[in-house]
Amino acid sequence: METDEEDVSRVVPFQLQFDKPVASQIKIAEWNPEKDLLAMVTEDSKILLHRFNWQRLWTISPGRCITSLCWRPDGKAIAIGLQDGTISLHDVENGKLLRSMKSHTVAVVCLNWDDDTGEEVSDGNFVPKYEDRTSRFFPPAPRAPRMPGLVPGETGFMDESENLSQELSNSSHQRFNILCSADKDGIISFSIFGIFPIGKIDIHDFSVCCPLANQQVDCKLLNASICKVVLSKDLCHLTVLCSGELLPEHDLHGFHCLTLDTSIFYKRRNELHQVALQASNIEDLTEVIRASLSVMSKQWSDAMHTFHDKFDSLSSLIHDHGLDSTPQEEFLSLIGGARTSPAVHQFLVNSLGEVVIADQGLKRISKLVCGAGKELEVIVLEHLQPAAEMIGFRIGELRGLSKWRSRYQGIGLDETLISNATEKASMLLIQVQRFMRVLSSSVQQFSNFFNWLHKCVKMLMSEPSDQQQLLAFNSELVILFLKYLYDQDPVRRLLESTEVDNSIEVDLETMERVQELAHFGGFTDFDYLRRTLAKEFQQMESCFKEAFQMPFITISKKILCQNLLPLFPIESISKSASSSVPTSISYYKEEMHSKQYSFVDYISFILPDEPSSQLANCIVVMRCLMNNDLEAVLLFVPDGYHCIDLSLYKECQLVLLLNGPSSENMEKACMTIVQADDLPFASIPSSEASSPWKLHELQDSIVYLQMDSLKVREIPHSVIAPLAVSASRGVACVFATRKRALVYILDEDEDEISDAD
Amino acid sequence: MASIVKGQSGFAMTPHKVSICILLQVYAPSGQLSVPFPFDSISQHNRLALFLIALTKVHFLRYLNSLYHDDYPAALENLNRYFDYSAGMEGSDFVPPLSCINNGRYEIALLTLGMTHFHFGHPKLALKVLTEAVRVCQMHSDDTCLAYTLTAICNLLSEVGISNITGIMGASDSHVSTSLSVQQQLFVLLRRSLKRADSLKLKRLVASSHLALAKFDLKHVQRPLLSFGPKASVQLRTCPTNVCKKIRLSSQLIHQYDNESSVVTVDGALSTSWLKNQRKPTTTLVFPPESGPESNCDAFYSWLQSSSVPGSVLQLVGSSYLVSATSWELYGSASLAQSNALLFANCYADSSSSADLALAYGKLIQHLAVYKGYKEAFVALKIAEAKFLSVSKSGILPVKLQLLHERALHRGHLKLAQQICDELGVLASSVTGVDMEIKTEASLRQARTLLAANQFSEAASVAHSLFCKCYKFNMHVENATVLLLIAEIHKRSGNGVLGIPYALASLSFCESFNLYLLRGAATLTLAELWLLLGPRHAKRALNLIHSAFPIILGQGGLELQSRAHIAEAKCYLSDSSISVSEDPDIVLDSLRQACEGLEALEYHEMAAEAYYLMAIVLDKAGQMEQREEAAARFKQHITALENPIKPEDPLVNLL
Repeated sequence: METDEEDVSRVVPFQLQFDKPVASQIKIAEWNPEKDLLAMVTEDSKILLHRFNWQRLWTISPGRCITSLCWRPDGKAIAIGLQDGTISLHDVENGKLLRSMKSHTVAVVCLNWDDDTGEEVSDGNFVPKYEDRTSRFFPPAPRAPRMPGLVPGETGFMDESENLSQELSNSSHQRFNILCSADKDGIISFSIFGIFPIGKIDIHDFSVCCPLANQQVDCKLLNASICKVVLSKDLCHLTVLCSGELLPEHDLHGFHCLTLDTSIFYKRRNELHQVALQASNIEDLTEVIRASLSVMSKQWSDAMHTFHDKFDSLSSLIHDHGLDSTPQEEFLSLIGGARTSPAVHQFLVNSLGEVVIADQGLKRISKLVCGAGKELEVIVLEHLQPAAEMIGFRIGELRGLSKWRSRYQGIGLDETLISNATEKASMLLIQVQRFMRVLSSSVQQFSNFFNWLHKCVKMLMSEPSDQQQLLAFNSELVILFLKYLYDQDPVRRLLESTEVDNSIEVDLETMERVQELAHFGGFTDFDYLRRTLAKEFQQMESCFKEAFQMPFITISKKILCQNLLPLFPIESISKSASSSVPTSISYYKEEMHSKQYSFVDYISFILPDEPSSQLANCIVVMRCLMNNDLEAVLLFVPDGYHCIDLSLYKECQLVLLLNGPSSENMEKACMTIVQADDLPFASIPSSEASSPWKLHELQDSIVYLQMDSLKVREIPHSVIAPLAVSASRGVACVFATRKRALVYILDEDEDEISDAD
Repeated sequence: MASIVKGQSGFAMTPHKVSICILLQVYAPSGQLSVPFPFDSISQHNRLALFLIALTKVHFLRYLNSLYHDDYPAALENLNRYFDYSAGMEGSDFVPPLSCINNGRYEIALLTLGMTHFHFGHPKLALKVLTEAVRVCQMHSDDTCLAYTLTAICNLLSEVGISNITGIMGASDSHVSTSLSVQQQLFVLLRRSLKRADSLKLKRLVASSHLALAKFDLKHVQRPLLSFGPKASVQLRTCPTNVCKKIRLSSQLIHQYDNESSVVTVDGALSTSWLKNQRKPTTTLVFPPESGPESNCDAFYSWLQSSSVPGSVLQLVGSSYLVSATSWELYGSASLAQSNALLFANCYADSSSSADLALAYGKLIQHLAVYKGYKEAFVALKIAEAKFLSVSKSGILPVKLQLLHERALHRGHLKLAQQICDELGVLASSVTGVDMEIKTEASLRQARTLLAANQFSEAASVAHSLFCKCYKFNMHVENATVLLLIAEIHKRSGNGVLGIPYALASLSFCESFNLYLLRGAATLTLAELWLLLGPRHAKRALNLIHSAFPIILGQGGLELQSRAHIAEAKCYLSDSSISVSEDPDIVLDSLRQACEGLEALEYHEMAAEAYYLMAIVLDKAGQMEQREEAAARFKQHITALENPIKPEDPLVNLL
């Protein structure tokens, strides 16, 4: 008896690692592809990250409803899709927001992130290694300056460990990868590294020739809603599972499988990689410049505001004393030594020096203005200028690539557009230089003016002034200050980006020089010095946008529909349910010839229980062979069991999560693995079909699932979706209705090895 | 003074001698010399010496000379220019502190004398004097002067090719000089002078030291000064990020100059520029009666013009962008090199020295010639010549000669090319180690001319002696070019096997000095050499070309691009697995691009080759009409090559 039990316990498959309670019901769960980490999304849209030992690493709540989640292939970042169409990337270390993009307008229902497996398929073409030279020539890229007065962490971007985040969102060290995102309205977006948008398609636009009612009809989808998108491992195909109506016949509302040809991603992966690498870095740098400009503008205008607040009282004082002059004139006569008007006297001695020490107020304002000036200088030197320079370099690299027409024209890298952008980047460098000079002069003259005022106050108060203490000043600079800076603000003018035409007057001599330089390969656009720095930046940005739009458009056009399969009908009443059909798609490598490999895609899903359908409680497994022949098998789940979720696992295995066997008062469930490639697949003929629905033809070839012959692990709870399976780690996480999480070890071989250790 | 200048008959007056006389006058203990000197008032300020330092071109001496020749307009012009030039020197820290006016004089005199020697091309003498200056500075513990002297020595060492300085620097650096190479000594000196300037808070000196370090890093691999144990982790490559960092550090000066306590802007300097602005119609009164929006706009620029940043600061900051442009030329980023030169010409044209400005314009002209063709370059050259006619011909002249030489080579006008080469060689000073740049340039061009004339052994011997010279003076960047040239010579002589090692050597030089553009060119040559060995190497050659394509097409000039395209086409043609008749466009596209570039350059020989190949491909593809066209163009270029001198060529008379 006892030996029997021991035997039984030994053969119980899938050892339970642990069984832990969870705070809230989980709706999405995904294992990290590289590490033992499980990311989960709760019903109330929080993201939890747990280690394998269930230690929680972090929790974040983006504040909006999360509709999808996936890992970056290197496992260092998570992409989440939100209800409002936003996709945001988070750092795996701390959950910090790395990037946020609004690629869609409606809920992102599915995300799939795949990388180039890095295996060279020897098709005879040599692939030159391309090196991003930037890191060789430049110190690390500058980051956006911190907005003063902001509590760190408030923005989510800036923190001490910013370095790391920057590194992560940076594309330089990644393998080529593509993030596909699909939304509820049938739009699929592609972005390289998850940050550089490279294409967008609408599945309603495809028209496919389908055999309907014994004749070939051009079919289109209507009101389609995407359920799942998966990019094949070699990036050549995209499988889309969606529900919708098939035009021209409206009654064909059902579940379809689309295969899109994305071989452009594969064929041009090196080119796309390089373009995306440079372009996404350029976009990062433009963000740095934008942030720098806004921070500078804010700081300077704050300082100037305080300055004018204080000094505006002088003009009213002058008015009160019945004088008809300007503050500048009064100051000028003070420096000229002619007279000190009572207004100025009152202003300097009383208003500014309101405190006991007469020049306290002056000191404060001088510190404020000069301090702001210094901070601006730091921002220019450490953020704005390096960023502008690196943009210049990177766009130069892109221009180089764009000249290789035979390789890069095909992916939409346009020579003229890139050249324009290069010129704009060069103009920005000059503008930054001019701004630097204006700023440095302004700051110097402000501080000189304050030094002078300081001395005047001392003299007016007839304090014994210690010559050593007072800073030197230059009276000429004071006059210049009064003339040009007292009531004008060249620094702010350059930072202004208002829509009003605010062109800067350029003198004749400079214009001549600009025109002369045009002969030396300078800019043919002579007006660039008339623009403000902010305006120039805007123009550069729009130039970049235009240039980067080209690859996006070109690639979008090259994604074509290969095949459309109507799978099974859905009653229109249960339309909403269609998007929740549990599905799993995976690609398995198959050896073709001696050394060549190809990928076979397995698609599995649970047939929804439709009242009209005879095929209740069935699981469908389909596979697409190399010659595009389609095979499928229907798995009939035994009575008493109900399939909750399924997931394809490694080596063509299919993990099934079933509730049951049903009993009166015991909640039970079980998990089992089916070897999918051993199933008796029946081929689906591509034509001569009596019914448009492919699965109707499979009714004869139902396979009954023999639970006895399979490895089955019983679970003492009733379970719900999702089932999270990690192929690399050989573990599965199951969630019980009673808010529990159970982790099972699927990979027994590994287990044995660890036991032996 | 007049008596000195006149001198006896047969006594040759050189600027060098005159300036030394003036220095003697200024710094000699009073009462010892009684030479009549017309500038008593000036000599009381020892600023004159500073002016002399600043004068790379001797406007002041020209003034004296003109005065002597009763050429008053010229004298006035030179005097004006001299003051313009020295305007950038206001606020210089040379004015010795009052306390040590008597002590400080001698070392400053030595420093000035050393720099004068250097400017007039006597580096050995200069080094001796400067070493003495260091000694005196240390004796008087005059830190400021020591900092400047060290910087001066660094400048000298980095600009002048010195193969061996042991013994010269021994006095001050006995503990390092023995075991270290010249480069390492220079590096130590640079670091030391930077540290000293930093601790003395001489911001300008700090900035110029950073710049000097950037220049050093640009061309030198940094090795650890002392290495113990296994040298496993030493990576022998230059460090471009350091160059970038240092250039940035030196351009920071624009925000820091006002911290420098010793700097006092010269009173009156601003009013000059201000007055200049008053003359312009845009600004009428100091305070316009009504300040409408228009006058606001005007005020902006006139304020910017009269901006109070000292000229010397702008000059330094400006030259940091020139260094940056040079670095990008070496590293191979055409767009950044151009935009930095443009930036300099746009923003710092007013405040920089005319030599720097000429250098910037020269860079722009060369960029045009390489990337756009000669037509535009010569238009620009004409403007530049008019601009720099009297100021510094020397800046533009080498550029002009280089352009003319290149063009003559391309058109196959070899006699002219040889003549231009000789002229270029004459421009350099005869003193060893001075004007190294022009000297190497001249010999390189001579070798190329010989190569174009198919005189392989002569070309090779010139190249070989150049290599020896470069090696002696540690000019490794130039070495890479010379090695590539030798590989080219072997390639042209049809000896691929001998050429490959040279190309590989050049490639490894380029690797360690990060010379990406040159590396692209070397890769291309290597590919051509492989192709020379037979069609079975076509695939390897094609892979090499494709690996270099992004750099060659992006950063390389028209000639290099066209060469790469032709080589690619040749690879396709000799690769048996590619059928040209089926897919002619794969070859024709690259040939068309090559022809475009070569037409702009008027490079007859190569254009003929491209059209020849094109005609062959078109013939195979069966496009007869186009074939005839290509053949006609081929013939045109061949005839042009055979008759290089056209009477109507306007550029022949440019010399």
